[in-house]
Amino acid sequence: MRQVMKSFAALALLAAMATGISQVAAHHSAAMFDFSKTQTLKGKVVELRWVNPHVTLTMTGTLTADEAPGEWLMETTSPGNLVRVGGWRRDIVKPGDEVEVVFHPLRDPDKKMGLMRQLTTLSNGEVFAANIRDQEKPGLE
Amino acid sequence: MKSGPIGIASAAVFAMCLVPSIAVAQAPKKAPSVINPPPTAQDWADIAKLPDWSGVWNPKISDQDAQVKTNPPPWNEEAAKKIAKMFAEEKAGRPFLVFSNCLPEAHPSWMLVTHNAMEVLFTPGRVTMLGESDGNRLRRIYTDGRGHPETSDPTFHGHSIGHWEGDTLVIDTTDIVPQAPLAISEAAGLPNNGDLHVIERIHLAEKDILHDDLEIIAPHILTKPWKTTRIFFRQRARKFDIVEGVCATGDLVERVNADGDHIFVPVQKSEWGHTTAIPAK
Repeated sequence: MRQVMKSFAALALLAAMATGISQVAAHHSAAMFDFSKTQTLKGKVVELRWVNPHVTLTMTGTLTADEAPGEWLMETTSPGNLVRVGGWRRDIVKPGDEVEVVFHPLRDPDKKMGLMRQLTTLSNGEVFAANIRDQEKPGLE
Repeated sequence: MKSGPIGIASAAVFAMCLVPSIAVAQAPKKAPSVINPPPTAQDWADIAKLPDWSGVWNPKISDQDAQVKTNPPPWNEEAAKKIAKMFAEEKAGRPFLVFSNCLPEAHPSWMLVTHNAMEVLFTPGRVTMLGESDGNRLRRIYTDGRGHPETSDPTFHGHSIGHWEGDTLVIDTTDIVPQAPLAISEAAGLPNNGDLHVIERIHLAEKDILHDDLEIIAPHILTKPWKTTRIFFRQRARKFDIVEGVCATGDLVERVNADGDHIFVPVQKSEWGHTTAIPAK
């Protein structure tokens, strides 16, 4: 019986690992985001994760003035593309900085996630574009 | 019976004579080594006569997007059904993950759908394409007159040989792994399933516009060769120099452990590839 319980526990652990396992991914489509909606989030930076192929920004913020701040996770393109398209750097924000983010929300409205299109650092009003296709605009150097 | 000193010495001499003859009899015939000769001053001078492809080349993604509809590959019936399903899933917000595990986008998908920059280096006997991230890290194109290898050893970017026709680099690529996708977007693409052959003609279409005219022969998923041109535009500002991009870091976040060591720990991803949770500091 003890052996059966041990086996059951081992299977349960495997099942938990299988459902909770991280998906390893490379470049992916952005179709999970709702491009018909554009929203603006104001709040404080938790962490800018400057990694390839998709940079992320976690922040606490609000969509409207009368709601309680929530924790949001924004995804965008790669560091190289952000440098070229919007003059980004790894150090344009640090934890606690006040920012405003324009984004397309995830199609699942219950999850506070989005595809970041623009970031503004509110201390100096500097705007950083994040739409990869803007690289094709005239005026290249 | 004991052997005396003379007997031992005779046996040793006999063995010494025998061993080399056995070794000679068993040694396989070796093909003569082909040496890559050191480049001459003239070889380097000839490089200067090639067209100027310096700078950082970025893909024209809006044209990649457009060609999904305007110039679809001639998929065979089975492949077309799979691609139609991928389009439907993408439309429903469940995009298929064509590029997973941070494996290379591979040839020719790097040229077809990359969203990242590349640079091109000319050296005697070689053209080298260097991509921004390790999804599109490196292509070696031999321009020293060699042919494809007699024995196939498939790789993600295949075996490429090239030659110059005027200012156009003509490249022939074979020996690509069958798992390498023929991708038309990040959410639509199929394994080539073997026997993939790609012919390219790369040339400057304008001063800062590079065209890669591709002919893709994928007999297991296409009904006929597919022709497409992919466009890259040039940037020269030093601030746009290509920097290292390691795909696997996209699945990780920088943290400091209890011992004070800087380490990477995994983040959570959805089945479609976007980041869904990051461990707190």
